[in-house]
Amino acid sequence: MSKYPEYSHEKSHAWFERARAVIPAGVYGHLGPSEGLFLPLHKWPLIASKAKGTYFWDMDGNRYLDFMCAYGPNVLGYSDPDVDKAAIEQLAIANCTTAPSYKMVECAEKLVDTVAMADWAFFMKNGTDATTFSVMLARAHTGKRKIFFLRNYYHGNDPWAMRADYPGILPEDVAHNVVLPWFDMEAMEKAYDACGGDVAALIAQPYDHGNFFDNRVATKEYWQSVRAFCDKHHMLLIIDDVRAGFRLDLAGSDHYYGFKADLICFCKALANGYNMSAVCGREEFKATAASLTFTGSYWMSAEPFAACIACIDKMKRLDTPALFRRLGTKLTDGFREAAKAHGFDLVVSGEPALFYLRIANDDSLMLHQEWVAECVSRGLFLTSHHNHFINAAVTDEDIALAVDIADDAFGVVEKRHPELKG
Amino acid sequence: MKDTRAMAYVNMYGVLGALENLCAMDAKAKEILAGLKKPVSMCLEVKDGPCCTFHFTREGCRMTEGDTDCTCKMRFASPEKFNNLIDHAKPGMPVKGVVQLLTFLTGPFTKLTDRLTELLRPSEEAMRDRAFFEESTILTMYTIAGAISALANTDPIARLSASYTVDGDLSLGIKDAVSLTIRVKDHHFATIKQPCEKPRVIMEFADIDLAHGLFTGTASTLDEMCRGTIYLSGMISMADNVNRILDRVSLYLA
Repeated sequence: MSKYPEYSHEKSHAWFERARAVIPAGVYGHLGPSEGLFLPLHKWPLIASKAKGTYFWDMDGNRYLDFMCAYGPNVLGYSDPDVDKAAIEQLAIANCTTAPSYKMVECAEKLVDTVAMADWAFFMKNGTDATTFSVMLARAHTGKRKIFFLRNYYHGNDPWAMRADYPGILPEDVAHNVVLPWFDMEAMEKAYDACGGDVAALIAQPYDHGNFFDNRVATKEYWQSVRAFCDKHHMLLIIDDVRAGFRLDLAGSDHYYGFKADLICFCKALANGYNMSAVCGREEFKATAASLTFTGSYWMSAEPFAACIACIDKMKRLDTPALFRRLGTKLTDGFREAAKAHGFDLVVSGEPALFYLRIANDDSLMLHQEWVAECVSRGLFLTSHHNHFINAAVTDEDIALAVDIADDAFGVVEKRHPELKG
Repeated sequence: MKDTRAMAYVNMYGVLGALENLCAMDAKAKEILAGLKKPVSMCLEVKDGPCCTFHFTREGCRMTEGDTDCTCKMRFASPEKFNNLIDHAKPGMPVKGVVQLLTFLTGPFTKLTDRLTELLRPSEEAMRDRAFFEESTILTMYTIAGAISALANTDPIARLSASYTVDGDLSLGIKDAVSLTIRVKDHHFATIKQPCEKPRVIMEFADIDLAHGLFTGTASTLDEMCRGTIYLSGMISMADNVNRILDRVSLYLA
């Protein structure tokens, strides 16, 4: 008998059907089932009604302890009172105006004061905007064409950042992308030579936090080698810190790994869910940044800037990177112990603040998907293919609850698979 | 854009490869084979392209790679010329067993390929018959499965998808109708027309009607995944890459 009864999702799924009628895929992209990752579909809530702290509720009133954090933006907790207060107060003063609010200046100053490598900040709305801006800047600055990527990359949805086998992408869109393996300096040197030196930049996440496999953290030595390589070849080093930014180090993930990026892209944890992204850069690239034709209707709206300032101030007060490391370690230790008690080999990888999970008893992820589905349908929201996220509203009691639900879910899967005792 | 050489592989492994299944499941094809006076092993050899032998007996058809044990052979000077066999029934150059080849080509082979065309490019009227509809859809599934591996190994864009596909077996099927295996090893694909014993990922369509809708474009893969009518489990990145190759298959088989 399961300690945590399974949720039912009638209302949520009815809302999802309404969504399908008027929105392609109902919920498109990473938050919805269209990528085939909600397995099986009926175990997932699909549509939310409200959220607070580290919990959200679906349309049936089921509560979820959420370790996906809206895939990253929830860094302090949903509806954080300090961030929301700053945003609401700013809304009453000014938001989207002809002359941008002074909050933009304050926000840029805040980022320059916070991010170790930053001499300036440029604002936009999504992670893709930030990475696209950075690649354009690198090409404009160097006059070169090729961009080095590290395998398993994800740098957003603009055509240049995708693959030629994606729908709607032309081979020409990605003709200047060169994909290299992680942690292989020799391959980088060879690729550079093969390109005849026509390389503008390397863009990479701070460590290999791709999907569907154990995440691999980087070393300071690796990044120092990459930094030296880029310097030697006059290439820009762009760090895509959209996912990991502010969760490892408030001064930037490059600072965490002991090097200095030329450009760094932030989004998710920047404003606790308020819509903005930013690129921070070094002084020598400021003039080129100013020369780019790159803007948007809402990019200088003041409400997210106010939220961002409040969010950064609170992350500093709480020392969220240290908090996330402690909470992530405690949570995953608990998961691992629960797994072991039920005969499962749960592999935990990546940085604790963005932990990645995989049951290794089989090589197909099927057991893992089963376990994750049983967790989700009992109120612990995890995912089977992506790194997770911690937020600052998580308490030790939440960790205890998460481990208890995980343990219960392991029990359900164990019972279903007597062959594992083999 | 289609690559001519990749098209030749699709025609060989996907379209003509379906002759194996046609001969196993279709009553009219079995009647045609029953008229064979003796077994025929016909090799189709394409310069800079595929080379396969189709072994026809009264019991059925079996396709093997290469020309081993062929009793007659037809050579094509280029993939383009081979594609003309499929598109315009233009034969290649007989180089072995000429008499047997010409007799077989103009007789049973043409009848079999005509029947194959009836089923793979069915008329609306024919599809109103449920048995024909089911046979046509299943045969299309085999054709697509053969084309997936053909393209994964030869089409420049599909090869990119293959380069990201991890090793293992993908079980591809229609529930209660057909199940087969796509085997990936070092980014090389092979279609095995047998159920998968130890799949790393499972992709199964809920029923034949859904499969037909997906094959003809009246149903959307993405939408059906949202409805839960496409069952997925396991290494989804594998299924994701195969889905990208399936997009290419649609282009080639259109």
